[in-house]
Amino acid sequence: MNKLNLFLATFLLAISHMALADEFERERNSMVRTQIQARGISDRATLNAMRTVPRHLYVPYAQRRNAYQDRPLPIGYGQTISQPYIVAYMTEIVRPKPDDIMLEIGTGSGYQAAVLAEIIDQVYTIEIVSPLGEQAKRKLEAQYGNVHVKIGDGYHGWAEHGPYDAIVVTAAAEYIPPPLVEQLKEGGRMIIPVGSPFQVQQLMLVEKKQDGGITTRSLMPVRFVPFERERE
Amino acid sequence: MNIGFINDSRQRLIISLGLHSAAIIAFQLSLMQLISIVQWHHFAYMIISVAMLGFGASGTLLALAREWLLKRSGWIVPLLITSSGMFMTIAFQLTRLEYFRFDVYLLFVERSQFPILAANYLIYFIPFFTGALAIGILFIKHTAQIGTYYFSNLLGSGLGGLLVLLLFGNVFPQQIPPIIGLLSVAAGLLGSTKKHISLNLVIGGVAVITAFMLIRTPGEVPVSQYKSLSRTMNLPDAEIVKRKADIHGLIEVVESPALRFAPALSLGFAGEVPVKKNVFVNADFYGVIPLFSKDQQTHILDHTTQALPWRMQNRYKVLMLNANAGAPLAHAFIHKPGQVDAVIANRGVVRMMQTDFANESGSLFLHENLNVYQVEPRNYLASKPPQGYDLIVLPQQDAFGGTAGINALQENYAMTLEAFDLMWKHLRPEGAIAVTTWLDYPSRTSLKLLATIVQTAHNNGITEPDKHIAAVRSWGNITFVLKKSPLSHQEVERIRTFCKEMFFDPLLLPGLQPEERQTYNMIGNEDFFHYVDGILAGKPAIIEDYGFMIHPATDDKPYFAQFLKLSQLRRLSETFGGEQLPFLELGYLIVIVTLVQSTILAIIFIILPLLRLRKSYRSKKGTLIYFATLGIGYMFVEIILIQRFVLYFGQPVYAISAVISTMLIASGAGSLLSGKLPATPKHPAIVGAIITFFLLGYTLFLTPILQGSIASTLPLKIIISLLLIGIPSFFKGMMFPLGIRFLSGYDATQVPWAWGINGSVSVISTSLAMLIAVEAGFRVVMGVAVMCYAIAFLVFSFHKLFFRKTHTRCHSRIVATALSRGLGTQNDRWHRTSNCEP
Repeated sequence: MNKLNLFLATFLLAISHMALADEFERERNSMVRTQIQARGISDRATLNAMRTVPRHLYVPYAQRRNAYQDRPLPIGYGQTISQPYIVAYMTEIVRPKPDDIMLEIGTGSGYQAAVLAEIIDQVYTIEIVSPLGEQAKRKLEAQYGNVHVKIGDGYHGWAEHGPYDAIVVTAAAEYIPPPLVEQLKEGGRMIIPVGSPFQVQQLMLVEKKQDGGITTRSLMPVRFVPFERERE
Repeated sequence: MNIGFINDSRQRLIISLGLHSAAIIAFQLSLMQLISIVQWHHFAYMIISVAMLGFGASGTLLALAREWLLKRSGWIVPLLITSSGMFMTIAFQLTRLEYFRFDVYLLFVERSQFPILAANYLIYFIPFFTGALAIGILFIKHTAQIGTYYFSNLLGSGLGGLLVLLLFGNVFPQQIPPIIGLLSVAAGLLGSTKKHISLNLVIGGVAVITAFMLIRTPGEVPVSQYKSLSRTMNLPDAEIVKRKADIHGLIEVVESPALRFAPALSLGFAGEVPVKKNVFVNADFYGVIPLFSKDQQTHILDHTTQALPWRMQNRYKVLMLNANAGAPLAHAFIHKPGQVDAVIANRGVVRMMQTDFANESGSLFLHENLNVYQVEPRNYLASKPPQGYDLIVLPQQDAFGGTAGINALQENYAMTLEAFDLMWKHLRPEGAIAVTTWLDYPSRTSLKLLATIVQTAHNNGITEPDKHIAAVRSWGNITFVLKKSPLSHQEVERIRTFCKEMFFDPLLLPGLQPEERQTYNMIGNEDFFHYVDGILAGKPAIIEDYGFMIHPATDDKPYFAQFLKLSQLRRLSETFGGEQLPFLELGYLIVIVTLVQSTILAIIFIILPLLRLRKSYRSKKGTLIYFATLGIGYMFVEIILIQRFVLYFGQPVYAISAVISTMLIASGAGSLLSGKLPATPKHPAIVGAIITFFLLGYTLFLTPILQGSIASTLPLKIIISLLLIGIPSFFKGMMFPLGIRFLSGYDATQVPWAWGINGSVSVISTSLAMLIAVEAGFRVVMGVAVMCYAIAFLVFSFHKLFFRKTHTRCHSRIVATALSRGLGTQNDRWHRTSNCEP
């Protein structure tokens, strides 16, 4: 009788787990369709990665039901996991190719690193907040063999694996550390979000030219059309 | 209880009331400070306003259970006061518990935060409610001596404001509520009778033990994870190396090997960014401790746009406004000026830099060429004769990534048109004003700053501002320079060279070609340049039609960081999404939410007693109008006076305390004297007329008097302030007790209602005044205050219209009620409700 109960419980647990996984998958596909493709993201590799990575595993347990909503979510320590569209946008804009090596500053939940790891060979990621970094390291190393997590100050970058084809800064500071610019390949791209928590309206792309010159470009995923211009 | 030196029970009650009133106001101010540290000040204000509605709720309960409470007042009042003290002691500690901790940022993204917020409201509500109920009972029980009791209440409140100021400077913020709680406990015990003291002794004993434990081991203040201090403390090896309680706020200095300072550093900079300690005031970033030596040749800020005015020409005499912990000063001294005048209002930080961190900062604050003025910038500019500066540097505006509008309702008199006009007068003919701002998106701060600069040039007779303004943009900053004389050809060329070296782009420069504007930093949005050029060309439509408020701030509306146009809320919500909108302009929205919620609660507290007052067949409109206008008028005048005297004294904390305490003490004196006047309608009418007359005079003469005497000696300024604040406050203090005494003769059942109305409306008035000031200016706030006292005057001038027996209506209503029940009109109910005259 006890064995039967155990079997039934395991069976029900497995069924409910599968049902839940199906539900999350449906939400994920809907997220890609309505939040990402609908806003103009078309890079196939990016879209596939966004469809594949289970975002709900990268948010705190209490936030799982909100994981696929069109907004940033709190992950503790004053940090957020970016809105899905912003993750997709940042991924597309650095033009990831399979043989690229990328550096991420600010691992946070690990979600952005996971998305990149679906597309490219090697992802190096640094998190300064130790508990967040440890948590992300456990998740990422269990899922991906090509993600390397370091806990420390992102200011110095990770020189021994550079130069990098692209650098994704997810936790921006009010200055761009010179070592990061140094570790960016000529022709490489760095993307940085600018905004207070829960509000990322602006992204900045830093490009290192072949001649060593550096330019920046403001990218505005949400376009604010000034009203007076509209009336003209 | 037999207190040797105070045997008379009436005297003990009056002293007890004074002590308790002091505790309530001190508790309110200390909570404001604490919640400002945990979250930020607008939010503190939101919680406190709801808690303060305890006054309104106490009026409601008094109206509903008047007889019951009055019969038992002998033991209820001291018990309420002691309990209030107990709750004051533990309230903040309760909100530190995991269950009650919430975050204002999460409020807009997690519904689970709402019950926690409600719990916080309740926790803070209880001490105010119990405390106010005790005061209300005393007022109603002793209506005949209301003048004396109201005097004790106001005097106590005034002294409570001064007490908390003393505590701010000497103990840590989390230790203050337990200290204040003890004051109320003492008041409760003092007011107890022998017969009923045992319960109070038990509660008081528990409160005393708890308070001593909390004072001895106060624990940490649980700062929001989104505040800059918390984020900094997450860095490796972060440590608070200095913590100091100061009346300007809690000052903390943090050290971490990962703390560096280089705002919007040039991407061409290849050196090491130095590690520096950060200074926080009330858990918000304030500045960095500069590393300075007299032999130093370069400074990290030379690689930011802030170097622009220094690259244009040499500067001898420099004024630095709000130079925070000194980083801009260290930068200035690299360029060897002959004299630097620094204006820093936070005296605590200045003292700390001159003592604790003097060695570390290379004795920067003791530099022989440096003069430090510890006042607000605006006060310095107004009180000094023209100084002939080569350069005036304003502090950096906004913050990296925006501030989410949390400073929206912070009055900033250094950024108004009047302040810029004063700066202009302090410049020598070749001098310049420089100001840097973070780039925000959508563009607000930079455009408002440019509008202010252009308007300043116009105000001072410059017909072609484009020849006087230079601006340089990096990836994150814009620095504007407004020069009194036209920019020279050499200066323009130096700016171009500077931009090229640093990978910056000129934004405004005489002879600038459009393609020069985006060599290194592409904006990808031509609209920004369209607006910049439109503002420079002085097209008013550009400013008027923009989706945000970018009109220059003025002394009448000194809200430089306020950008939200209420009329555009819907449009912004559509553009950015409703969920993200709060994070664009959170500060102003919080005030609106505060006003709405406190208005709803106030209406409930005002209407509920009417259920009981239905039995009174006397007109209630006089009571409602008179006590509501008194509540609004008193608070509006207080807010105006604070605003004016902050400018006058240049030290907000002292000015606010001085205004509030002088007002309350003078009002108390007025209240005491009012007891000698008979309770006829004539006297409130006369006093109302006097106040209206005074306030009308203030609308015309207050600003000129203050401006004319701002440079006077401190003793003279204090005398002027005491007269200007004290005289109208003296009369204002008469209005409430005169009204209450009249009301007790007219219909005593309405007295608790009046107390509730006055309390509820006073709380609404604070956020209402702010909303009016933002939308229409302080002049309108003053206008409304004058109207309020004029209405109060009219209510008693035509008292027969407002305070009359309504037997006709009453009769018909009873007839209707009786008929509906199938009873005759001679129902005995008629006789029981004898307020109806047959």
